[in-house]
Amino acid sequence: MVIMLLSFSSCIKGEDWGNGNAPMDNFKALWTIIDEHYCFFDYKAKAIGLDWNNVYKKYEARISEKMDNKQLFEVLGEMLSELQDGHVNLYASFDIARNWNWREDFPSNFNDSIQQLYLGKDYKIASGLKYKILPDNIGYIYYASFSNGIGDGNLSEVLNNLSTCDGIILDVRNNTGGNLSYAERLAARFTNEKILVGYICHKTGTGHNDFSKPEEVWLEPSDGVRWQKNAVVLTNRSCYSATNDFIKSVKRCPNVTIIGDRTGGGSGLPFSSEIPNGWSIRFSACPMYDADMQQTEFGIDPDIKVSQKKEDILKDKDTLIEFAREFLKK
Amino acid sequence: MMRRSWIVCCILAFCCSISAQEEDANRYTSHALMGGVGLANVFDNYLSPLEYTGIEARLQRETFRKTKLMEGNVFVQTLLNVNAYTTHSPAENAHMYGGLVNWNISWLYKWELNNRIKVLAGPMADMNGGVIYNERNSNNPAQAKAYANIGVNARVIYNFNLFHKPATLHYLASLPLLGAMFSPQYGESYYEMFGIKKGGSHNVCLTTPFSQPSLRHAIYLDYPISNTTLRIGYVGDLQQHKVNNLKGHVYSHALMFGFVKNFKLIKQKDKDHVKTPYQL
Repeated sequence: MVIMLLSFSSCIKGEDWGNGNAPMDNFKALWTIIDEHYCFFDYKAKAIGLDWNNVYKKYEARISEKMDNKQLFEVLGEMLSELQDGHVNLYASFDIARNWNWREDFPSNFNDSIQQLYLGKDYKIASGLKYKILPDNIGYIYYASFSNGIGDGNLSEVLNNLSTCDGIILDVRNNTGGNLSYAERLAARFTNEKILVGYICHKTGTGHNDFSKPEEVWLEPSDGVRWQKNAVVLTNRSCYSATNDFIKSVKRCPNVTIIGDRTGGGSGLPFSSEIPNGWSIRFSACPMYDADMQQTEFGIDPDIKVSQKKEDILKDKDTLIEFAREFLKK
Repeated sequence: MMRRSWIVCCILAFCCSISAQEEDANRYTSHALMGGVGLANVFDNYLSPLEYTGIEARLQRETFRKTKLMEGNVFVQTLLNVNAYTTHSPAENAHMYGGLVNWNISWLYKWELNNRIKVLAGPMADMNGGVIYNERNSNNPAQAKAYANIGVNARVIYNFNLFHKPATLHYLASLPLLGAMFSPQYGESYYEMFGIKKGGSHNVCLTTPFSQPSLRHAIYLDYPISNTTLRIGYVGDLQQHKVNNLKGHVYSHALMFGFVKNFKLIKQKDKDHVKTPYQL
């Protein structure tokens, strides 16, 4: 009995945010979850002037006990957009609150109808990769999403098939991310040596600056077929999350040139949580840095900036692919 | 000479008698197998800040045997608990699933208060392994549970007659005092732990009653029916932790039903006199 009393007297309980349906309870829960877990407060205070305590005051005034679910969702979504982070979303059964300014505010530099003309009908498919040899003996690979799995066997087959080419174009435009392991697996085909490609750390407590010591992230060369000639990686603003991480890695590889637009960013590994009314929340939890310990949350610049030209669109030409072909021919 | 031989024979006979009695007693062993269902309340702030509730299924196997230690007053008790639960969020739009395997061994010293009530207590060691999975999380979808403890176990046994048959009431409690627990750090991903660091520091934490105030306890009634002993009871499993700035609990309360089998390793001529270790 004494043991039982001792145990019950030291209960470890979840947060008590009161009534699950009360707008103010859900507002406080959401603000607190972000306050305790979000990983870019310090960086974004400097980069965009974010002050999360001010955000609380600003949006608390807009919460009313009479507001309905959709009105609450709108206010909470606007509050989250203050973070300017594509990895921050609020999920309800009727909508997803998001901030996609990282791509919507910029030219796409990608036209899938024109790109399809380059692939034609005779392209090959190896799991998530579409590939073919262009008429000027340049290999072209399109990887639409790092959510589509690629195995080591797929990669070896693709690179073997393109081994007679003078160079390859790896097009990751509009690839908004997915699995980091696939990004690492693909990047490992472009180096013969182990390369330091970045750092990762995580929060160790609820404070805005409670972070672990950054851990080195190394890119190990693949045991399979590795590309030894020149390669161009095409990017645009929709290269986000795992794709941003891929660019961060291959940018360090010796024969790789990044051509196109700045990537969209998204360097925080997202975690999930939820608020009492059942809406799910996703947020950046673990910051990842490049090899110079610089943030890539707002994107990575290409080695050569090239934009899609309107006159090329009229000619059904993809300016970035054409530039890459010329670049590799030189 | 004859007298000396007689004395030696008497001593040997006495020793053999003692030995036979001790050997006889420690050959009694009791095995109990139970299954049950109950309620679970799960909270792990690595996965969600909210408490999930639902149902659980539980299996428990117990062995209880007298030893020769400390003049036969020490009993060895082993408990294997396997539970699995399915729970839902307060809004009932998300689910968490999980389970735990617990193996617990203890050496219990017996104090006999009278011929009906015995109190047993002693050191224990336990090992635990399991997982909690949240179906809608992204890079924090699951939490592995792995911990081991040393602590104390206690057991109270009350033998009495119920409807003219011998019944036994048990209360068991298990309290961890010192242990080691695997845990990610507050915002650490399993990708970083195992994909990048290949196993990290700070992921094995020392636990005490302050960081792991947990308790497993149970109450059972054994009642003979025909040649079988039925066991019914309740298991309360209250596991809590607060390490690496992460906290959580799994509270489960299950009603159990099963059977007890008493074994004796030598042939027993008179089954009516087979004792259970709970009666020794």
